[in-house]
Amino acid sequence: MRELSLHILDVIENSIRAGASIISVGIVEDVAGDVLEITVEDNGSGLNIPVEDALDPFHTTKDGKRIGLGLSLFQAAAEQAGGALTIDKSDLGGVAVKVTMSLSNIDRRPLGDLAATLSSVVCTNPDLDLWCRFSSGGPECVVRVSDVARELQVNERCGLAIARRVSEKIRNGLAGMSGRS
Amino acid sequence: MANKIKNPQELAALKEKAKADLDLRMGPKEIQITVHMGTCGIAAGARDVMAALMDELTTAGAQNVTLHQSGCLGLCDREPMFTLVDKAGQEFRYGKLTKKKVHRIVQQHVVGGSPVADDLIQA
Repeated sequence: MRELSLHILDVIENSIRAGASIISVGIVEDVAGDVLEITVEDNGSGLNIPVEDALDPFHTTKDGKRIGLGLSLFQAAAEQAGGALTIDKSDLGGVAVKVTMSLSNIDRRPLGDLAATLSSVVCTNPDLDLWCRFSSGGPECVVRVSDVARELQVNERCGLAIARRVSEKIRNGLAGMSGRS
Repeated sequence: MANKIKNPQELAALKEKAKADLDLRMGPKEIQITVHMGTCGIAAGARDVMAALMDELTTAGAQNVTLHQSGCLGLCDREPMFTLVDKAGQEFRYGKLTKKKVHRIVQQHVVGGSPVADDLIQA
């Protein structure tokens, strides 16, 4: 994957398959500590296999398939950039995938177009409440799809209309970051 | 200032109009497009295909389309791809998509009703 946002999209796809109705994506930059932290949490059915199996590229829970590359590729991207990927239970009730990496590492891939990535999820999943949190030392910027929906007319609360509004809000939230990720 | 509702009939008419508007935007649409977003699809550019679809449908003013996403279909070498189901329920699988191909499919198939044979995945 050429962007970290595409790895995030891949993990979100896992959460949707696990029946999540809430997915929380957090991007935290610690410029002084040289750390970029990405978390994706959900309230889905949780991990029903050992963590080692989830990270094994030759293990998948999908019927008829033999490989499951998503999490192992994200783990490799984290380790290439001096970081790690951990999987834990989320306070939301499902799985929490946490990735840390060195912000200044030359092998760290760029965050990429996170607004386009997350707005595509919003557009195609009208029943999903996506929470996005951005922090770069200062106050945290939070964008929740359910809050954005309340600002819109009832007939704009799904599809392209809400996706565009969420995209704008995420771009504004990311504008407050250091610009290094 | 909005017109006052003078009687129950006017209220019922307003309700019907609002319901029709909601159905138009949120109810089942004539065309369903599912972008396949498994790991293989995402790595091959499915996110960009989805973004291009959103832009092209907005530009074309196509209100009769619902977008969905799903996982890998098992045709990883044809990614990025999407499946279009028309109002008759017929499935069309488009593969190895680019922004240019998405533009052509929206104009020719979604708006014009004629499948783009060159970009269809052959069974």
